[in-house]
Amino acid sequence: MADADTTARRPVLSSFGTLGRGWLGVLALLLVIGLGAWAYQLQHGLIETGMRNVFSWGLYIMLFVLFVGLSAGGLILSSAPKFFHSQRYEGFARLGVLVSLGCIIVAGLLILPDIGRPDRIYQFVTSPDFRSPMVWDFGIVMLYGALNVWYLWLLTRRDLAARGSRLSLWVSDSAAGRDRDRTLMFWTAVCALPAAVALHSVTGWIFATQVGRGDWFSPLVAPVFIAKALVSGLGLLLVVSILADRFTAFTADRGELTSLGKLLGIFLAFHVVYLLAAERLPHAWAHHFGFWAITSNFLIGDTVYFWLWTGLGGAVPLLLLATPSLRRRTSVIFTASVLAVFGTLFEGIRLVFTGYQRVNINAAPGIATGGEYAGLTTDAWATAGTYTPTAVEIAVTVGVISIGALIVMAGLRYLPLQRAAPDAAYATDGGDRTQ
Amino acid sequence: MTNYGLVIDQERCIGCQTCAMTCKQENNVPMGQFWNRVLTVGGEHVDTPSGTYPEDGESGDLDMNYQPTACQHCENAPCVKVCPVNATYTRDDGIVEIDYDKCMGCRYCMAACPYNARVFNWDEPEHRPEDGTGDVAERPQGVVEKCTFCSHRVEDGLDPACVVNCPADARIFGDLDDDDSTVSKYISEYNTEQLLNEKGTDPSTYYVQGKMTPGRPWTSDKLETELGDDEAAQATRRRNGAPTSEHGPTPHVPAETAGGDD
Ligand code: SF4
Ligand code: SF4
Repeated sequence: MADADTTARRPVLSSFGTLGRGWLGVLALLLVIGLGAWAYQLQHGLIETGMRNVFSWGLYIMLFVLFVGLSAGGLILSSAPKFFHSQRYEGFARLGVLVSLGCIIVAGLLILPDIGRPDRIYQFVTSPDFRSPMVWDFGIVMLYGALNVWYLWLLTRRDLAARGSRLSLWVSDSAAGRDRDRTLMFWTAVCALPAAVALHSVTGWIFATQVGRGDWFSPLVAPVFIAKALVSGLGLLLVVSILADRFTAFTADRGELTSLGKLLGIFLAFHVVYLLAAERLPHAWAHHFGFWAITSNFLIGDTVYFWLWTGLGGAVPLLLLATPSLRRRTSVIFTASVLAVFGTLFEGIRLVFTGYQRVNINAAPGIATGGEYAGLTTDAWATAGTYTPTAVEIAVTVGVISIGALIVMAGLRYLPLQRAAPDAAYATDGGDRTQ
Repeated sequence: MTNYGLVIDQERCIGCQTCAMTCKQENNVPMGQFWNRVLTVGGEHVDTPSGTYPEDGESGDLDMNYQPTACQHCENAPCVKVCPVNATYTRDDGIVEIDYDKCMGCRYCMAACPYNARVFNWDEPEHRPEDGTGDVAERPQGVVEKCTFCSHRVEDGLDPACVVNCPADARIFGDLDDDDSTVSKYISEYNTEQLLNEKGTDPSTYYVQGKMTPGRPWTSDKLETELGDDEAAQATRRRNGAPTSEHGPTPHVPAETAGGDD
């Protein structure tokens, strides 16, 4: 960093290289396959998915929930310290917002293949019913997406200008400008935190307001969504940071990694241990008499998704992060973070299953599933919901996720995500204005 | 104001499935879908009781009941509240209906309905005969559909098809806001239940249990309020002469036998 623009941070990928290009090729291929699968699904209808009349939301909504949660980490981690005028975790701020942006775009796009008539989606704007939590969510997802774009640009625009990038738009680099940006960053942080809380609560309320779907109708759903956003969002940010540290010029500060790992452990404990117990204990207590009946009923899970979430995605990473000698190792933090994201995925899957598996009125013959009419068969009826995603659904979903990955790749290449050099003249942005 | 409701006398219902079939036919409901289903409350299968036969020392507590189930036209309808684009709405006469030109197929309403009354057109709807049946235009692929209380008939002063065609006179349709209507009288005189009452949806469909009612009082397919009303009778005749919509299938009642008093 001895060249002319010492003060301006640089992108962490100076060129894509062979590995980068190979990865881009894979992502582009996945995107093309996804688009093809979506075209196929548009033509044939949602009959090509595993969803039917009883189990009427599937993989798209499960992953929508996951990606809304994943989008929390970066924005919260970069705005919370700024809110308190702190320099902490500054090195992760830009990458974090980039990852948040990628995730919220993936979440928004996942709604498109889920709806039967995407050509009519404009009605959200022309004919909204403001009683509907889905309208609230539509609004907040759009707002949150816009906020991420603005924030990412605000964080990087002076460095972009210093490097002569057109992405800086009309902004130029100056000390006064950087000072002004720091104020703007504070105010953006002030908006970002409530926006994140609203996003996750409203997404939770889509489910929590429904009297007709078993466990969905619980006031705890919104706080659980916040907790799971903290867990999965921070988890993903750690995963991406460690990968970027390994494969690009991005450097993740070891000490901060460890402290973020500890933070992830705290989030996990709150989500998987405390909130789960809070949700289950009252019911178990009310419905059972003996001490062991109560305990086992609130400790023992129901489905395999439950165990994948609480065990593999909850207890294991929690143990890894709770052990001081282990959590100092980057590989351990990486593994724990991957598992935490994985666990959150299964929590979302479990949530959708708890709503659709059981039907309120399950007398024979049940509900017409509405699948392809295949003559004199009895499987046209169902008294319980079952669901397995089809190859088409998986291909579309992977395609949409690859868009998010491409956005992150582009950010690594073209945005100045590098850590500020400790001796940089303008110090780091987003700090205390008086320093 | 008018607030339409339905009383189903479970003591009269014989589980013949006629309402389910006539609904499918009248409303042009695609293959593989049902708006109205006659459920067997009892054993695990249709037409089977719960309990045991009184032999080999068994208790002999056989029990079985039929529960015709379609959209309950809830007064506090969760499906209406969740619809993000106002495609599902409550009409002034209390009927919960879907605007099929607005519905974008998000299926939030299916998640919201505690009765699983709604079905989604997962693919291109298929009909037998291919041109469809009944008096209602088919709904396209990718939208949600459900029972409308036969609003197209009600607007013409006719009872819903399931009500007219029930051979046990177990279905009674009318205005819940009119104290003199048969539905209001039965609800006050007999023991009636609303399905999943605890969910607070306040359905406009009431199920008579315990003592049997005298059943549907008229043998005409007209609404009670319309009987003896010449203008309504004329409207009925006019209507039966032509399809109800440009794209609609031909009416199943041939024009020469129109009048509907059969
Ligand atoms: S039964 Fe279901 S579809 Fe009908 S009004 Fe009630 S909630 Fe809506
Ligand atoms: S599927 Fe159609 S009717 Fe149902 S909530 Fe969505 S837009 Fe409204």
